[in-house]
Amino acid sequence: MRAPGDGHGIMAGDVLLAVDGVSLSFGGVKAITDVSFDIRKGEIRAIIGPNGAGKTSMLNVINGFYHPQKGRITFKGEMRRRMRPYEAASQGIARTFQNVALFKGMSTIDNIMAGRTLKMHENFFWQCLRHGPAMREEVEHRRFVEEIIDFLEIQAIRKTPVGKLPYGLQKRVELGRALAMEPELLLLDEPMAGMNLEEKEDMSRFIVDVNNQYGTTIALIEHDIGVVMDLSDRVVVLEYGRKIADGSPAEVSSDQAVIDAYLGVPH
Amino acid sequence: MDILYKIFVDPFVQMGAAPDLLVQTMWEGLVAGVLYALIALGFVLIFKASGVFNFAQGIMVVFAGLTLVGLHEMGVPAFLAVILTLGVMFLIAVAVERVVLRPLVNQPDIILFMATFGITYLLIGIGELIFGGNPKRMIAKELYLPSGSVEFQTLGGFVQLQKIDIAASVIAAIMIAVLAFFFQKTRIGRALRAVADSHKAALSVGISLNQIWVIVWFTAGIVALVTGIMWGARSDVSFALQIIALKALPVLILGGFTSVPGAIVGGLIIGIGEKLGEFYWGPLVGGGIESWLAYFIALGFLLFRPQGLFGEKIIERI
Repeated sequence: MRAPGDGHGIMAGDVLLAVDGVSLSFGGVKAITDVSFDIRKGEIRAIIGPNGAGKTSMLNVINGFYHPQKGRITFKGEMRRRMRPYEAASQGIARTFQNVALFKGMSTIDNIMAGRTLKMHENFFWQCLRHGPAMREEVEHRRFVEEIIDFLEIQAIRKTPVGKLPYGLQKRVELGRALAMEPELLLLDEPMAGMNLEEKEDMSRFIVDVNNQYGTTIALIEHDIGVVMDLSDRVVVLEYGRKIADGSPAEVSSDQAVIDAYLGVPH
Repeated sequence: MDILYKIFVDPFVQMGAAPDLLVQTMWEGLVAGVLYALIALGFVLIFKASGVFNFAQGIMVVFAGLTLVGLHEMGVPAFLAVILTLGVMFLIAVAVERVVLRPLVNQPDIILFMATFGITYLLIGIGELIFGGNPKRMIAKELYLPSGSVEFQTLGGFVQLQKIDIAASVIAAIMIAVLAFFFQKTRIGRALRAVADSHKAALSVGISLNQIWVIVWFTAGIVALVTGIMWGARSDVSFALQIIALKALPVLILGGFTSVPGAIVGGLIIGIGEKLGEFYWGPLVGGGIESWLAYFIALGFLLFRPQGLFGEKIIERI
């Protein structure tokens, strides 16, 4: 895997992704209104906010599922208006989903191998023959996938169809698939939703380890405020599609607007 | 008691009495089965990769056959015509992806299914417009497909095998082996299965849906062309052929919608079952059971094994 701060001249601490004045609406519903923030190389950036604040929409904008009507997104110094999801993937943005989107009929290994799709280049002819360079390539990628499996401690379920796995493990496999892409930016949409305490602790540990060991920049949406405060370097808070606060966990948690958004304002 | 005797004993006595006839009937069933399997294979390919039951597979068979023959009538040499027809099937794949599938991303399956109805009638219209509605003779000889038959003596009688049937079986077997391998063992095969399971997850790992769909529809087009040539060589190429595509339904129910080997085994069971049923049990009800026996068998399967013989067991955590 990659060491932090390599390539493209972006060093740890530099801006990796900048969201600038982004607005997104569906018909008359405004999901995001004029939101700007940035994500720096090597940090864990949390996006929090009450339900319906536009957090998931924001992730969808970043990885190209949605195209904002207004605003700009700059990734690795390149500005773009519209980008298809697979282009985002090929530039190094990986993600997981709020409601787990795995290939249910496929085994854990195949799911994670699917994450290597963009890294495999050998031509079709050799693949069909399963010989020569294509075979070497398959073996090499398989080794990489086994590393991820070890890292996430899911050796026991490597051949199980993922549809059979309990929810907590499915989330872990999904993280594995995202890691297989060797992303520069990893988007996690509520990685701990629906987990028990022990599973949450495991997942937190994996997130911190990914960030420390591989220097992967992480943007995560999370509802568990305790987790957010422990894990993240900086937090951006959304409410009704607008940004209401941005800063370190300590700053954000003492911000009056944030407290009002979460606890309500006395009338 | 008499009727029970006629159903459960008499046919088997007949089979024992004239084993050469039995072999002949089974062979005919086998050949029909191979062709059913080819059609079913076209369905399975598209169903696996996009979760869509492609109603247009039957007309694609006819269209490919007509294009091939039509081009040859215009004076194009046979093998060049095959290559050009493949080109046409590729263009159809691209057009379907552009015009039909891309705007319908993330719509419910039923909507995509209906869209394939639209493709069916569009292809019928275009086909009749260009090639006319009359049946055409397949250019089997020009493609060096064998004709005539071989006959050999066994089991106290003669068994006659059409050479074209032997060729069809061999070609189908090769094609099926290649496709099964392609799906299970290659990166693109894995991507195809991934797309079948979840569009958004496939997109998020960098699989291009558009590219995959073109590949799948083109592969189904190749299968359609081979099917068209083989069916056409046995009868004629006509629009009536698309009705046989409906025979793929019981085959798929038997074999499972997502399984390539299932399509083969299902096709063979239906083909052989049909011919044996018609020959030995048909006379009991005055014949003609060949046309519905397949559906009857499929119904039985739906009751006891809805995912088919080889289908992926439907896993749903609740």
